Amino acid sequence: MKILFLLASLSLLIAAPFFGQIALPLDELIQPQSMAHQVFMQIRLPRVLLAFLVGGILSLGGLVFQVVFRNPMSTPYTLGVASGATLFTAIAIIAGLGAYSPLFAFVGAMMTVLILFAVASRFGGYNPTTLLLVGIALGFFYAAALMVMYALSTLQESYEILRFTMGSLDIVGFGQIGILTAATALLLLIIRYYKEAFKALLVSYEFAFLQGIHVKKLSYTLLFGVSVAVGAAVSLTGPIGFVGLIIPHMLATLYQQSAEKLLVPSFFYGGVFLVLCDLIARSLADATLPIGVVTSFVGAPFFIYLLLRGRK
Amino acid sequence: MPLHITDYSDEILHDISFALEAGCHLCILGANGAGKTTLAKVLCELIDSDAVTIDGKSLRHMHGTARAKAINYIPSKLEIFDAHMRVEELLALSHFDTTLHIGDALERLRITHLKDHPCKTLSSGESQLVLTASALLHGARYTLFDEPTANLDPIRMRTLFHLLADDTVLQSKIVITHNLELAYKLGFDILYLEAGHIRFHGTADRFFTQSQLDALYHGSVKNLGEHVVVSL
Repeated sequence: MKILFLLASLSLLIAAPFFGQIALPLDELIQPQSMAHQVFMQIRLPRVLLAFLVGGILSLGGLVFQVVFRNPMSTPYTLGVASGATLFTAIAIIAGLGAYSPLFAFVGAMMTVLILFAVASRFGGYNPTTLLLVGIALGFFYAAALMVMYALSTLQESYEILRFTMGSLDIVGFGQIGILTAATALLLLIIRYYKEAFKALLVSYEFAFLQGIHVKKLSYTLLFGVSVAVGAAVSLTGPIGFVGLIIPHMLATLYQQSAEKLLVPSFFYGGVFLVLCDLIARSLADATLPIGVVTSFVGAPFFIYLLLRGRK
Repeated sequence: MPLHITDYSDEILHDISFALEAGCHLCILGANGAGKTTLAKVLCELIDSDAVTIDGKSLRHMHGTARAKAINYIPSKLEIFDAHMRVEELLALSHFDTTLHIGDALERLRITHLKDHPCKTLSSGESQLVLTASALLHGARYTLFDEPTANLDPIRMRTLFHLLADDTVLQSKIVITHNLELAYKLGFDILYLEAGHIRFHGTADRFFTQSQLDALYHGSVKNLGEHVVVSL
C-alpha cells in the first residue's frame, strides 16, 4: 500500500509540469529556444516546485503544531500566523507598496508569532491551551482588521486583496523559490537537530521534562522554525488551507506509527497533495481555479470520510 | 549525596522539610488528598521551587542530563499523547543507564512479550510495568514511584514487590502507596502526610506499632505480626 502511494506520487511529480492549459509538444520542448521550452522552464517547473515546497511546509508545520499544542485541530492557520500575513499584505496593497507585499506578509506572520510568545511568557509555565486561545483571538482580530482594510480600499485594491486571500501559485522563474528553499532547509534542520527531544514530547510534557529536556525552549524553537517557513510560504502564495490538517491525519491512519516517523512522509505527501490540487485547478476550468478553493473542496469531504472510517 | 527539601509550602503542602541519604529508601503514606503526589512533583521539580537540593545543588538550577540522572518520577498512569509509539521506542527514550539493556529490563518485569506492542494496546497494569521498566533503564539516583501497584493483579504485585525490595540498580527509591502491606514488607523509612503536614517521619518498626497505627488510622489497620491488614 505504502509502496503504491510512493510510486503514484513520484509519477505525479514527474508528470505534473507537462500538463496545463497550453499543450507542450515533446519535440518542441527539447529545443532550448522554443516557446514550449520557455513555458516549461520558467512557468511550469517553478510552479510545481513551489506547490511541492509550500504543501510540504504546511503539512509538516501542521504535524509539528499538533504535537506541540496537543491538539489535532491546530495548524499554523489556527494560530493566526496566516491571518497576520494576509492582513499585512492588505496593508501593503493599500499603502501602494504592492510590490513589497511578500516582505509585508512575512513580517505579518513573524509579528504574530512574537505577539504569541510575548503573551505566553507572561504565564509562568508553558501552557499550550492558553497559547492556542490567544492565537484564535488574534485570528479574529486580524479578520476584523482585514475588513477595515477592505472598507478603506478602492475597488481595484479590494480585488487584489481578495485574490491574495484565495491563494495562488502563479510564479515566474526560480528567484522567489530560493528564499522558500532556505526557510524549508532551516525548518528541516531544526527538526532534525531536536528529533530525540521531539520523540520525548510525543509521550508527555512531564515525561520529556524528566528526561532532562527544556520543554519550553524546545516548543518555542519548533514553533519559531515552523512560523518562519509558513511565513515565507504564505508571503508567496497567500493562505492555502486544509493541507496542514488533512495530510498528517491521513498519514497517521495509513502508517499506524508514531508521529516522529511521519515527519518525512508528512513533508513529502503534503507537497504531492498540493501539486495534485494545483494540477486539478489548472486542468478543470478555463480560468485557473484558486488553489485554496481546490484544497478545501478536495480536502474537506475526504477528511470527513477518514473520520467516519476511523470511527468504525 | 543527600536529597533535601527545606521549608516548602504551597496551597496543598505546609512546612515540608526532610532529608534522604543516598542509598536510603522511603515510603510516603497518607490519606487521599494528603498531598503525596504534589510532594513527589515538588521533589522532582515538575512543580517549580527553590526548596529542593541534591548534593547541595539546587535542583532548579540543574539542567539537561544532570537533572535527569539525579531524579526521576514514575507516575501511576502512563499518559501518552502519541499512542502509536511502541513499548521499545518508549523505553529507548529514558535509557540513560546503558549498562542495562532494554531486553533485560523487560525480562525482570516479565513483560518481554510487550516489546513491540503499541502503547495504545496496553492495559493499565501492563503500562504500569512498562513504566517501572523505564525507571530501571533511566537509573536516576532518586526514583519516585507513585502508586506503583495500583493496577496490578496479585502475581504482578509480587513481581513488583520483589523488584522494589531486591533491586540494586536504583540507588534510592521513594515509593508512594496506599498499600500498607507493601510498605510493611519493604521496611523502608516512612513519611506520613496528613492534610499537607508531615505527621510522622521515622523507621518502619516505629510506624507499624499498633498504637502508632491506631493514632493515624483510627483502628482501621491491624498489625497481625506477619501481615498488616485493613480491618473492614
